[in-house]
Amino acid sequence: MTSYVVKRLLGLLPTLLLVGFLVFLFVHLLPGDPARLAAGPDANLETVELVRKDLGLDRPLPQQFLRFVNGVLHWDFGRSIRTKRPVSQEIGDRFMPTFWLTVWSMLWSVLIGMAIGIVSAVWRNRWPDRLGMTFAVSGISFPAFALGMVLMQFFSVQLGWLPTVGDDTWRHYILPSLTLGAAVAAIMARFTRSSFVDILGEDFIRTARAKGLDERRVVIKHGLRNALIPVVTMMGLQFGFLLGGSIIVEKVFNWPGLGRLLVDAVDMRDYPVIQALVLLFSLEFILINLIVDVLYGLINPTIRYR
Amino acid sequence: MKSLFRMLTAAVAAMALAAPAFAAKDVVFAVASTFTTTDPYDANDTLSQAMAKSFYEGLYGFDKDMKMIPVLAESYEVSKDGLVYTIKLRKGVKFHDGTDFKADAVKVNLDRVTNPENKLKRYGLYNNNIAKTEVVDDYTARITLKTAFSPFIAQLAHPSTVMISPTALKQWGSKDIAFHPVGTGPFKFVEWKSTDYLKVAKFDGYWRKGYPKVDTITWKPVVDNNSRAALMQTGEAHFTFPVPYEVAEVLKKKPDLEVVAAPSIVLRYLSMNTQQKPFDNPKVRQAIAYAINKDALAKVAFNGYATPAVGVAPQGVEYAVKIGPWPYDIAKAKALLKEAGYPDGFETELWSAYNHTTAQKVTQFLQQQLQQIGIKTKITLLEAGQRVEKVESWQDPKTAPVRLYYVGWSTSTGEADWALRPLLDGESWPPRLFNTAYYKNDKVDADIKNAQLTTSSAEKAKLYKDAQETIWKDAPWAPLVVEKLLSAHSRKLSGVYVIPDASFNFTEIDLK
Repeated sequence: MTSYVVKRLLGLLPTLLLVGFLVFLFVHLLPGDPARLAAGPDANLETVELVRKDLGLDRPLPQQFLRFVNGVLHWDFGRSIRTKRPVSQEIGDRFMPTFWLTVWSMLWSVLIGMAIGIVSAVWRNRWPDRLGMTFAVSGISFPAFALGMVLMQFFSVQLGWLPTVGDDTWRHYILPSLTLGAAVAAIMARFTRSSFVDILGEDFIRTARAKGLDERRVVIKHGLRNALIPVVTMMGLQFGFLLGGSIIVEKVFNWPGLGRLLVDAVDMRDYPVIQALVLLFSLEFILINLIVDVLYGLINPTIRYR
Repeated sequence: MKSLFRMLTAAVAAMALAAPAFAAKDVVFAVASTFTTTDPYDANDTLSQAMAKSFYEGLYGFDKDMKMIPVLAESYEVSKDGLVYTIKLRKGVKFHDGTDFKADAVKVNLDRVTNPENKLKRYGLYNNNIAKTEVVDDYTARITLKTAFSPFIAQLAHPSTVMISPTALKQWGSKDIAFHPVGTGPFKFVEWKSTDYLKVAKFDGYWRKGYPKVDTITWKPVVDNNSRAALMQTGEAHFTFPVPYEVAEVLKKKPDLEVVAAPSIVLRYLSMNTQQKPFDNPKVRQAIAYAINKDALAKVAFNGYATPAVGVAPQGVEYAVKIGPWPYDIAKAKALLKEAGYPDGFETELWSAYNHTTAQKVTQFLQQQLQQIGIKTKITLLEAGQRVEKVESWQDPKTAPVRLYYVGWSTSTGEADWALRPLLDGESWPPRLFNTAYYKNDKVDADIKNAQLTTSSAEKAKLYKDAQETIWKDAPWAPLVVEKLLSAHSRKLSGVYVIPDASFNFTEIDLK
């Protein structure tokens, strides 16, 4: 198992290099001159040239790429074109708010989603199932920005119970994590339900029932564990997506996270920030996949790693 | 348990004792985007410069109606040839770090921005004209220009031209000063959490006695329009700008809020590429100007928060001349088009420099209006990067793809030179500046040049009048509307104004 993890971690390096290369090419293919954008709406030609030199954009592309790779190897991602602060600092400031928001949203949405899923599967096609799936379909179909605005209007503006924007206290986390988690909870519910419905039809469940186990034990011990594999896969994927920072939720709740940073960076063609962010997102996905793979083994010991 | 109780009572007692000190006047401003920098010489956005007014002041500045007033300067004299400006400075002014404000500060700051080594984004605004800055005595500075440039004092009033403490500049260096701003302004810099807020606190040694009247200002960037409105409704913010038109109606209904529509110098126009057929024919351009109903445009796209443009430079800019509005006359438009040889109209591109909802409404309205005289347009809303690539940094004027172009301009010096030269001078074609009409008229160019050289105000007024009237007749643009600036503030807050260039004036800020 350890050797498997080490092998996977080593495999990370070529992947990241490839991602880095592609991202570098892509962002430099975007239309628009970042020096002109940075210099602003009433700058003249001389100023634009000065800004270009300042940002190192006057050098040939291969040289810029080498500088980028070399910098990354020394853990230096350059400075943001927009704010001139080090990219590592820009991202560092915003990583934790996004991370905690992701964790809290995932936590409640996975718990609630799985509960709804199990209940729906057990009482399949009866009213708990109908009710649960109604929730699930609404959760998927209701757009996050609208949900966020409705929640804010109701709980912050009308009732005054919760703060509107920012991330200062735990109370600030409630509305954004509800908004962000709603879709995840819905997806989890549907996934758990379908996975559970399959498992409940299996032979070993019939055997468990036949030997006289009570239904609760059958569902929780024999059913849940086996139904969990696809659910964990989905969980990993969702976690990865959310870690990228939800652009919409972060905008509505003015969350100081990575999603807003990415939007700002793309708007201003802030190359260093875009590159570092995409690298970070790729790294996150790879790591999450690894964790998911390891979890498979814990859930189902018959899975072996080589 | 007992000790916990004791601690609690102690805490409550401490809070009660400290209460008077806590009755601080803390103001929160909710603004629309994050700040790029605190250094006005390196800022290209109005908002960052407006925020920097908390801690920085210039030699000259603008009052709430955008009239130029002396701030750190007391008076100036200009030599006969218009080359040498001698500026008398205010005495008894201190920077936040205790340094006295003297003539050396003027020299250090202007030398910094005119030195290309420092690579500041406002380099272009100063380098063209400042030759050198000298210290005559402690309270007299002398600035020598390369060529006479009569709007020079207006340039000193531009929100970029501020006085940074020379001591702090030496300590932090030209780059890092942006993270440690030290000026002479009413507030000291406290902290900048770039994701969240920027906070400033009252400077006790401020030279204007009795000011500022509040203890702190927290500048909070909140990107989403609705969230900003929510913040105003819950009372978490005291002032917000801009307020989108659709939100204005909601906020107006709240008894403790006031929505203000202030006049602006933000002019919206439709520029036409005069180097390309069919727009090389003035009759075609005039026809387009006649075909647009500006009153309806203001109502439809701006919810009434705009007025038809009455000149080439908007009212409020010094030396702006009122000529229009350009009448709406479909019959005349059709006749002109026929005279020009396009009785059935033609097809062309209509680009917008912005991709927000208002721009979308404007372009759709224009499309529909031009359809009436047979001109079919294809709309493209340019995203910032595309705009730069296809318009602002297009290298060869002959092949420039821009045709009809919806754009706007805010004259941040409040003076006719900056309203006309960057947009209509023959020298200002992209990529140099923003003459997107590729307009060139020798008479206009000469007027702009001569107005720079003269020091006589009457002479200047005459030259600018001539230039504006010529341009109006030539119609390189169809002038559209002048926007109004919508802001909202709590009724407890007073003395905060959005000035016509969309910057803020908060000298008189107070909280009840």
